[in-house]
Amino acid sequence: MTEQTTILASANPSEADSAKEILKTRARILARPAKRDDDGQGEILNVIEFRLAQERYAVEQKYVREVHPLRELTPVPCTPGFVLGMINVRGQILPVIDVKKFFDLPETGITDLHMVIIVHTEEMELGILADAVTGVRLVPQALCQPSLPTLTGIRARYLKGVTDQHMVILDVPSILNDPKTIVNEEVEE
Amino acid sequence: MPAQDQEFIKKLQVTFAMEAQEHVQVISNLLLDLEKSLSPAQEITAIENIYREAHTLKGASRAVDLSSIEKICQAMESVFAAWKRQSASPSRQAFDALHRTLDAIRELLASFTKKSGRPEGPWLAELIHSLDTLQLADTPEISAEAADGAIVKTESAPNIGPASTEPPNFKKEIAREPVFDEAKQSNSAVPETVRISTAKLDSRLLQAEDMLAVKAMATSHVAQLREIASSFEQWGKEWDKLAVDLRVMRRESEAPAATNRSPSRGGVLLHFLDWNVDFVRSLESKLNAAVTKAQQDRIGVGKRVDDLLEDSKKLLMLPFSTIADMFPKIVRDLCSDQGKEADLLIQGSGVAMDKRILEEMKDAMIHILRNCVDHGVEKPNERTRLSKPARAAITIAVRQLNGSKVEIRVSDDGSGVNVENVKKSAVNRGILAASDAQNINDQDAASLIFHSGVSTSPMITEISGRGLGMAIVRAKAEKLGGHVTVESDRNAGTTLRITLPLTLATFRGIVVSAAGQMFVVPTTNIERVLRVKASEIKSVENRETISVNGQAVSLARMEAVLELSPRSAGGDDSMVKPVIVLNSGQQRVAFAVDEVLREEEVLVKPFRKPLARVRNVSGATVLGSGKAVPVLNVADLVKSARKHGLAPTAIVVPKKHMAAPSKKVLVVEDSITSRMLLKGILETANYQVKTAVDGIEAFTALREEKFDLVVSDVEMPRMNGVDLTAKIRADKGLAELPVVLVTALESRQERERGIDVGASAYIIKSSFDQSNLLEVVRRLI
Repeated sequence: MTEQTTILASANPSEADSAKEILKTRARILARPAKRDDDGQGEILNVIEFRLAQERYAVEQKYVREVHPLRELTPVPCTPGFVLGMINVRGQILPVIDVKKFFDLPETGITDLHMVIIVHTEEMELGILADAVTGVRLVPQALCQPSLPTLTGIRARYLKGVTDQHMVILDVPSILNDPKTIVNEEVEE
Repeated sequence: MPAQDQEFIKKLQVTFAMEAQEHVQVISNLLLDLEKSLSPAQEITAIENIYREAHTLKGASRAVDLSSIEKICQAMESVFAAWKRQSASPSRQAFDALHRTLDAIRELLASFTKKSGRPEGPWLAELIHSLDTLQLADTPEISAEAADGAIVKTESAPNIGPASTEPPNFKKEIAREPVFDEAKQSNSAVPETVRISTAKLDSRLLQAEDMLAVKAMATSHVAQLREIASSFEQWGKEWDKLAVDLRVMRRESEAPAATNRSPSRGGVLLHFLDWNVDFVRSLESKLNAAVTKAQQDRIGVGKRVDDLLEDSKKLLMLPFSTIADMFPKIVRDLCSDQGKEADLLIQGSGVAMDKRILEEMKDAMIHILRNCVDHGVEKPNERTRLSKPARAAITIAVRQLNGSKVEIRVSDDGSGVNVENVKKSAVNRGILAASDAQNINDQDAASLIFHSGVSTSPMITEISGRGLGMAIVRAKAEKLGGHVTVESDRNAGTTLRITLPLTLATFRGIVVSAAGQMFVVPTTNIERVLRVKASEIKSVENRETISVNGQAVSLARMEAVLELSPRSAGGDDSMVKPVIVLNSGQQRVAFAVDEVLREEEVLVKPFRKPLARVRNVSGATVLGSGKAVPVLNVADLVKSARKHGLAPTAIVVPKKHMAAPSKKVLVVEDSITSRMLLKGILETANYQVKTAVDGIEAFTALREEKFDLVVSDVEMPRMNGVDLTAKIRADKGLAELPVVLVTALESRQERERGIDVGASAYIIKSSFDQSNLLEVVRRLI
């Protein structure tokens, strides 16, 4: 920087202008964002993987607020079956759902629900129950098959895709924004 | 543009959107003011202000590169400039167009903050054109001033670079400089403020509320310490009993001590006992000091928590105007849709209330205003016929009643509640008996509008008439711990009074249990708590009733109303059941519960989306233990109970010939859901179930109580299921106890290990279903 200033100071006005121009061009070139290597694969999904009844699921990390061990779960009466209950997270009450029940998947065996993954969109927040959270993965979108309902039994609109490793990536916004998710019931008279 | 810059502009635009909304609101309010008849002086000030607001908004939108809004503002500013010069005057048509313009700006703002709303398009040009014609509307002759306006117009229409529009605007700004300075000076007297997003304050408040658990914890610690301290008394008594024996012993041990120099064995023991007594005594006094200290701390913590909570609540107190600012616009839109005229006057909009209460009341207030315009306000010609001013007046007056309550009064000078229609509607809906309809006074009849389905309107309009609006208002007010009343005079108007607490206050609630779960019922809704023998339950027309103060009150079972599976426990006629009598409005219903536990100070946290509204539950509260517990909605419960009452099977009369004392099962499982599931399955099959979270807890439970069977998970912290089984087999008293292992592990090896240590059965989680568990259990006991 000092060197450049000296050049500018010593040069006559027209030279200073052209020097400025050169510097500007240089700055522009340098400011261009670095090229990424993943051009061939397109978008990379940053997901949190979890296990639920021997199956592998994942949600995109950008929708995850936090992951919490499940210590206490209070059932809420008069709610649909997929709402397993509510939890208290630092003073905030959050409903917790079982995605298998939400998708009406057949219940095979019982699960060891130990973890809550708190997911959110702009409008709402809820907890998804999981047996265990197994890690964070980078999944190139290109490796995700559009889901086959026969394969997972889950409607395609709730899914972001299924990887070749049979990891089911859930589409958080479409689950949270689904009218089915919202519990809004009055007592009929 | 580089991505970072774009992102920066995007951020700026979001900030701008917040600022812009405020400007739009101010312009909207000023327009509404101008529409009313103002004195000439007031009108000049209003026009000056509105012009300045539009100008500021224009400048701000240019700064963040939003040329669409800038263009609209430019056109709007030109109209206001024309008003200022008095080359054009505000007209009805102008107001309509300007309100439409403000709506358009709102849509544009929404389109880039939330991706909803309406993005830019050709409609924009049309809008600007309609505004351009406005400033010329009542000046057909080309005066010098009009020509001036035309120049402004040509400046704004095409998107010329900022350089060419700069000079004229620049001059204008210089001309207005003194005005801005004045505004700044008057602002400097205002105390310093900081803008913080409410989301941040929300989380601060939640944290403060969470401190209530700390307070409760401190209380329970003190109780625990006291209990320990009191056990020293027991020790003291036991010690005193030994006094005589000890004296004898001491004498005996001292006598030979004289002949034998070395201390006898008894002497050593006595020496130790003496030391031990002193040790225990000093321990006792230390503990007592600790109890005193803990108690002082509890009081100190309690006070600090209360102060913190109180102050945090105040942080989230917002003036009523935060929701009221939109009301004049709503009333105006409703009126113009129906060809009615009304002014809305808002008094006391500065009264501050808890943000959450305001949010909850916003919809309710809109329902009230709709009702006012739709049912209250008459058409202008009708009003003239009744010799009332053609423009109706709707007043919202907010005032603080005392330290903790606020009253919102909404009154109109319209037609009042049509009592006859209300009665008719109520009779049709079965809310009012036809015979009572004659005797009921007008005041009580008017109050019937708060019942769902009752409407005064013979016709359902798009706006109202379904009879839901007022019911929603009442439900909201009651949920927040307030209430609502109505006064009405035929042809003179209607007044609604809503009383609300200023903050979401803690209230007292009774903790009850039903079907093994805890619930909180607001104490204010509880009329009585009784204990009723099964033999005192009478059956009237297929519905169970009990007698409360000589009156028959129908009885419902809490678990049935809450749709929970009832506990297996049977009962006989002599069994006493706790019953709480709840009232909602004029109705009362008694609910049988498992237990009435205690009264606690609780704070209701309303559910949020996705739990928009849950039947029978109004929200949750966090008990001292940190456990979230549902708070029941008494109005819903009473309704639900009436519904259930119609089905005679809903209430099961306890049978005498219930199964012999049921077998006791201990479920050991660290996962809470599996634990609840196993417990549920076994309980419905009439087993008595206790639970433990790991092997160590289970083994302790087995030592204390006799069980007939253990169902245990394998993988658990501290002591796993296999080790637990081994320990049970090794214990003399427990060796024969059947143990069922439930596991996710499917390997043969694991299974063999389980069988090796002596498990009676093995169930694999992945192939688990309730019938195979029950079958296995039945086979074993």
